Amino acid sequence: MAEGAQLASGLRRGTLEFCVLAMVEFEDRYGTEIVRRLAEEQTLAATEGTIYPLLSRLRRGGLLDSKWAESPSGPPRRYYSLTPTGRSSLAYFRTEWVSFRQTVDRLVGTGEIA
Amino acid sequence: MKPDQTDVVTEYLREVELRLSGLPLLQRRELLADLAAHIESERADRNAISEGALIEILERLGSPEVVAAAAYEEAGAFSAPSGGAFGGAPVGPPPVAPPPFIRPAPAAPRRNLWIFTVLAVVGVVVVLCLGMALTMSRDAGPAEQGPPQPAPTASF
Repeated sequence: MAEGAQLASGLRRGTLEFCVLAMVEFEDRYGTEIVRRLAEEQTLAATEGTIYPLLSRLRRGGLLDSKWAESPSGPPRRYYSLTPTGRSSLAYFRTEWVSFRQTVDRLVGTGEIA
Repeated sequence: MKPDQTDVVTEYLREVELRLSGLPLLQRRELLADLAAHIESERADRNAISEGALIEILERLGSPEVVAAAAYEEAGAFSAPSGGAFGGAPVGPPPVAPPPFIRPAPAAPRRNLWIFTVLAVVGVVVVLCLGMALTMSRDAGPAEQGPPQPAPTASF
């Protein structure tokens, strides 16, 4: 059980942030929306509250931008958008990820043509 | 909203804040504002009016320990386009309840090892210098009351 959690956290590290970047690739989204969506994915095992520090780091790193806006119903929302740096970072990850995945598949024997 | 319901939220945010004392002020404020906005927006969207529903929102958010630990983990790591991909994020020192897999203990013995290594090297150098000094003084003048050294008569 603990082993499974450790594996999940190890796999999540370094990949979750690109799931976040991809979520705001085509439209701006507000924090709760991003957090809810990611927490829905059981595989990612991401607790809602731990995603806000990640959003903060991506903003401080210049990959995301944010601005507060009034919401039609309820409290103000903080909207995140992808910066040009974030966009190129996402593109770079996409190519890296494909070759990384292929290599792991080949070595571990999880490829479709294994 | 009833005052006792707000208390649950206030208490939760206070518990998180207590654990963030090691973070820069702006990051601390940012996270607390994000969490407060999250709770408010969940409450509005899910029409959560009972205390039970509110506690459920807080439970999904995660315990203050877990949230604070994530904040420390992300605090030092500025993502760069090339460095962020598979490089492990530097882990900050969570002052309260560190995750079980982080063991700061090995740091101390390793540091001691360093000191021993340095001392050993210094010791060897000192012994060598003494040896050389002894040899030179013996060459310069007649050998006198030296420690029992083998083969003092060796000539080249």
